[in-house]
Amino acid sequence: MTLIQIDEYDTPAGKSLAETIKASIRTPDSLGLDRCIQCGACTASCPAARFTAYNPRLLVKRVLENDRGVLEDETLWNCFYCYTCQLRCPRNNSPAKLVQVLRQLALNEGIGLENMEHFLGLGEFFAAHGISQVPEHYLGKMAEALGSSWVEFKRDLPAIRAELGLGSLDIRDERKEIRSILEGTGHFERAESLRARLKESGASEGIEENKFLNAIPGKNKSEDINLEKNGRYSGPEALIV
Amino acid sequence: MKKMEDIPDRKLLLFKSCMVSQEYPGIEKATKYLFDRLGIDYFVSEEQSCCTGIGHYVDLYGQLTTTAIAARNFAVARKCGYPNIACMCSTCYAINKEACELLNGNEEVRAQVNSVFREKGLEDLVYAKGDLDERTNIFHVLEVIFSKKELLTEMTEVDFSGLKAAAHHACHYYKFRPEDMIGNPENPRLIDGVAGACGADMLRWYEDRSLTCGMGFAQLHIHKDTSLKVTQTKLESLRKAGVELLLHMCPNCHIQYDRCQPVIEKEFGSEYDFVHMNIAQFAALALGADPYKVCGLQTHSVPLENFLEKYGII
Amino acid sequence: MKASPEKTAAFICHCSGNISDHIDIRSLKNALKAGGISVFDFEYLCSSQGQALIKDRISRHSFEKVVIGSCTPSKHGQLFKKCVRDAGLNPAMLEIANLREQCAWVHPEVSEATEKALSVLKGKIRRLEKAEPMDAVVINIRQKALVIGGGIAGIAAALSLADNGIPVYLIEKNTSIGGQMAKIGKIFSPDKLAEECAMCSLSPLMNEVASHPAITLITSAEIENLSGSSGNFTVKVRKNPRYVLDSCVACSRCSNVCPVLMENEFNCGHKDRKAISLRFSQSVPKTYAIDPGHCLELGGKKEGESCGKCVDACRVGAIDLGQQPEVLELEVGAIVVATGFEEYDCSLKPQYGYGIFENVVTQTELARILGLNGPTRGKLMRPSDNKEGFPANNIQENKIQENKIQENKIQENNLQENHVSTPEVPKRIVMIQCVGSRDEKAGGNPYCSRYCCMAALKHANLIRKKYPETEVTICYIDMRAFGLYENYYRAVQDMGVKFLRGRPAEVIEKGDKSLVVRVEDTLKQELLELPADLVVLSAAMVPSEGTQEIARTLNLSQDESGFIKEKHSKLKPVDSSTEGIFVCGTAQSPKDITDTISQAGLAAARARAYITNSPRTLEHELASVNPLLCNGCGKCQACPFEALSLNENGRIVVDPLLCTGCGYCVELCEREAVRVTGFTAQELLAEIDGVLEEGDLLTFVNSGIAYLTCDNIGNSVLSYPANVKTVKVPTNLVVSLEMLEHAFKKGATAVLMLEDAPDNPKAETIHPFAVEHFEKLKTRLGENGKRLYFKKAYVPNTKGLAETFTLLAGES
Repeated sequence: MTLIQIDEYDTPAGKSLAETIKASIRTPDSLGLDRCIQCGACTASCPAARFTAYNPRLLVKRVLENDRGVLEDETLWNCFYCYTCQLRCPRNNSPAKLVQVLRQLALNEGIGLENMEHFLGLGEFFAAHGISQVPEHYLGKMAEALGSSWVEFKRDLPAIRAELGLGSLDIRDERKEIRSILEGTGHFERAESLRARLKESGASEGIEENKFLNAIPGKNKSEDINLEKNGRYSGPEALIV
Repeated sequence: MKKMEDIPDRKLLLFKSCMVSQEYPGIEKATKYLFDRLGIDYFVSEEQSCCTGIGHYVDLYGQLTTTAIAARNFAVARKCGYPNIACMCSTCYAINKEACELLNGNEEVRAQVNSVFREKGLEDLVYAKGDLDERTNIFHVLEVIFSKKELLTEMTEVDFSGLKAAAHHACHYYKFRPEDMIGNPENPRLIDGVAGACGADMLRWYEDRSLTCGMGFAQLHIHKDTSLKVTQTKLESLRKAGVELLLHMCPNCHIQYDRCQPVIEKEFGSEYDFVHMNIAQFAALALGADPYKVCGLQTHSVPLENFLEKYGII
Repeated sequence: MKASPEKTAAFICHCSGNISDHIDIRSLKNALKAGGISVFDFEYLCSSQGQALIKDRISRHSFEKVVIGSCTPSKHGQLFKKCVRDAGLNPAMLEIANLREQCAWVHPEVSEATEKALSVLKGKIRRLEKAEPMDAVVINIRQKALVIGGGIAGIAAALSLADNGIPVYLIEKNTSIGGQMAKIGKIFSPDKLAEECAMCSLSPLMNEVASHPAITLITSAEIENLSGSSGNFTVKVRKNPRYVLDSCVACSRCSNVCPVLMENEFNCGHKDRKAISLRFSQSVPKTYAIDPGHCLELGGKKEGESCGKCVDACRVGAIDLGQQPEVLELEVGAIVVATGFEEYDCSLKPQYGYGIFENVVTQTELARILGLNGPTRGKLMRPSDNKEGFPANNIQENKIQENKIQENKIQENNLQENHVSTPEVPKRIVMIQCVGSRDEKAGGNPYCSRYCCMAALKHANLIRKKYPETEVTICYIDMRAFGLYENYYRAVQDMGVKFLRGRPAEVIEKGDKSLVVRVEDTLKQELLELPADLVVLSAAMVPSEGTQEIARTLNLSQDESGFIKEKHSKLKPVDSSTEGIFVCGTAQSPKDITDTISQAGLAAARARAYITNSPRTLEHELASVNPLLCNGCGKCQACPFEALSLNENGRIVVDPLLCTGCGYCVELCEREAVRVTGFTAQELLAEIDGVLEEGDLLTFVNSGIAYLTCDNIGNSVLSYPANVKTVKVPTNLVVSLEMLEHAFKKGATAVLMLEDAPDNPKAETIHPFAVEHFEKLKTRLGENGKRLYFKKAYVPNTKGLAETFTLLAGES
């Protein structure tokens, strides 16, 4: 089994979940985790709690009890990172930041990898272009949902940008600084190890054939919007002028 | 709490946003238009990269990676002589603020980031403590516009009186660093202030005013149903309040409202007769900017033509 | 002043074996006599025969200096001082050698104890050679008190002082005394499960204040400035005009004709008050007052308008529109600050909708709604339904549109037409606890406000009793029904009030002006949207504007939240940072009425003790300034007790009431012009000379806790080597480099500076200076610095101290 590369800045070793969370560079020194009084202001404010089984107060409680089972709790992946919990907490705790560390800890143990599958390639795209885009897989889904007008817009984007007097989407990065930084901070190693582990686990959806274009009635203008050979819309890369 | 007098109007690096660039380029153009009209000294760099926001908030990039990328962008700002970063996207704002605070306050992180730079032969990117100040160098463009709202009132050409508009302030602006925002974070009034200065009637309270747009980064993709349910809840709340226009300040919210509204109408069998705009687009319109050539409204999914006609813009 | 040996006498007490069993009195006597000293011994010097012996021998032999070898001076020091004074000696001519606690009881070997006793006595005798008579400092304290603030705290303090014979000025900012308690309608006490009329308890007290011959009540007044020194304060008071003379008979004719209706601060801003009015019907003094900001004649007059209707209506000619402010100068000996609290501004937490949604009120506002003299005459209703209750409803509506909610509330406009306006008793009330309390966020307060749980219980209970159909839910984090209040909490639970453990996220307004409270029931783990007709916020208690102002005017220390800080939370709970100024009630910290009245009584007792201890003879060691040496440089004004100041002649003067004799100033003075009487360098050097022998550990002992701890070693039957020699000092700040060098030259193996642990107000102030002083001396001593030690003494740590003595005495 592939060992997942651990980011010691996000998830430093600690005697307990709480210790790791407090030592993580994702949380500030002022974090009021130990001061939590379980008042429930976070849960009462939380959109995920309102519409799903997610409960940030309970999550904090389980962290304080050092219940590592929390890492396997699927609701962990429901947080919107909207920080309303942090805004409302009377003790300056931040469940939203807590969850970020918990998700990294879960990933370290190979839990929840399926949530990451289609995002794992973002770093490659970033290194190549200096910008980020919605992953191809989801762009396809968006196209399915949003329909032809959006696909047309995507096709027209270069022209629209030109009309608005806006420059290239890609950044100028002659020294490949972005790639160097992603490499130097260990991003690729971790992403690779996550990808390998996901493959081993068999939970991968794999890259499916994207048929969104066929789903749009009366539109089959693949040649117009620079589709790649496999018929997938690959995002702005293809649109760079 | 930040004071309005602390908002600079000189040496601003207009920080490009991936989602603005790819989905609503009119926001960038409208912002530049406003900055030009308001006499703000700004610069756009070809070297500035993505803040990592999308990858960071889908749990892909570690905080160290994100911080190092931010340090590179800070070096870009420093090198071009425009050290006041003004973001169009609230996530860029949050990411940059947090990274800057870490670089200034956590020596270990700073040393590690700098050692990566040195190792890769990028000495010119090395960050020295205090190169930028997270409180006095990093802003949201809305703050800059807000600080000039008296000018906006003077310059407004379009009569928006009677327009019933509501604001959706971005979570990553006011909830992420409440201590840094202008005003009370439980009652953000920046959009209201700017739109009000341009003549709109702002609805102060609607039921779900503090609810997130629902995008939730990965949520839109991995839990699409919940994500849209949140957005639908928000839209319902606005419908009940009788809103014509929802104004926002972040391209992520913008996608969620404008792109998803037709999807939600279809999936939930509801109908909404209100439109969406970024506050910069709205303010530019008020000042007489072209709705398409400046504000880029043709890129919207919810058509704005009726709205533009009603207020005599087209 | 040097007395010949034959003019010096030593008296040695046997303490019925306590001393004589451990010390060879005979050899002690012989050794002293050999030095030319007259020595007397007796079974019990503290007995009346013993005292008579001392007096008799002094008079008979005309002794000039006396050493008494006995138990610790903290036991009978005062008694022996009186003895020598009675015999015609200045008390400075007496020294007490501690032969019991610090000698007989701690050194088991008789020979060692005897040797040590001799050295201690010799030290005292040598010291007396340098002693100078001390003039007793006598202070006259002004026999009047000032109480600032006419709420229940100030009323209770003023009555207590006056009943104890102290004339009192009571200053109140408003036109009537009564404060917050006048607003709250009902009170209850822990032993009763019933609510009682607050005004029925308060009103008689207010009337008593007005009629008490020893109380001068000054209302509509504010403190402008404080001068003078402790015990002799001069307070400048500005008395604002009320435009109505004391001849007012409170017939209300003026108010009936007054055309101006204004917001009533007493009724939480409801517009039901005239520009000429009483603050409330039971006001004291019962004299009408005009609000100059609203009166058409005085301030609110538009061009060409005039009014004067009240002047015409008054049958006793009591209205005087020409009244001017007056400035009074009050001279008082002590001050009690009782300026109280105000309710936290809940609009700082917009998520709860206060100031935005009409039907969100605070507990105090609910108290006014429930109050018979309130805006609804006691009928429970939603503010949005209160159309009949207010005579001035229309005006109030306009007001809201003008100022309160400028924003367009679309939903309200849309639905207002459908709104049925039959005011009903609200059926669902939700109370939110800890609004602005226990809140680390900006705008919140970190502390618990202490009263709000009880206020919520009281109001919930009242409502349930009177309107059983109404459901009341209290959303709490922790119910804090401290002490006996738990009984009341249980009774309220039995009344069917619902308790929900969870801090609400936000309050939402619906089209019909009803509300929804979003909260998690954390015990059931359920996310709830509680519908409510009325939401009541239990707002934090914050220091009133008056409290903040008075702290600035009187220069009193405040805590981080702005309350006036007491000198010590346990030992000096009502003493402010300034001697002679006391604080009580909610100006000091959040508390309920019961605790406020208790504290007011204590503040009054402390103020009275301060005043009646006059003329005050100060016998403790004090700083004194030699005017011949002093050049007025002012460096000594760094005194942490602010006891030294430059007078108008450019001379440094010592305020004897503030000076603690700590000796910090001695070191500050470069010209050696300042010294602590009784502890001059000459006296201490002489004592060191007398007491110290080669191989000794010399310990300078702070005369407070440290000395007591040394005594306790003896009381605890512990021992330490007899080569430990102690010299008592007011604090170690008087210890100089010269003394240390002298001690080491004389053969001291080590020197220990024993200071009080910083556990009481005086020691807290001195301790950091003492540490700094020690470190400086250690450096300046050079090589010898290694043999200088510092230790904090704690009363219970006798064993530890004995061990330290043993350890350090063993070094050589």
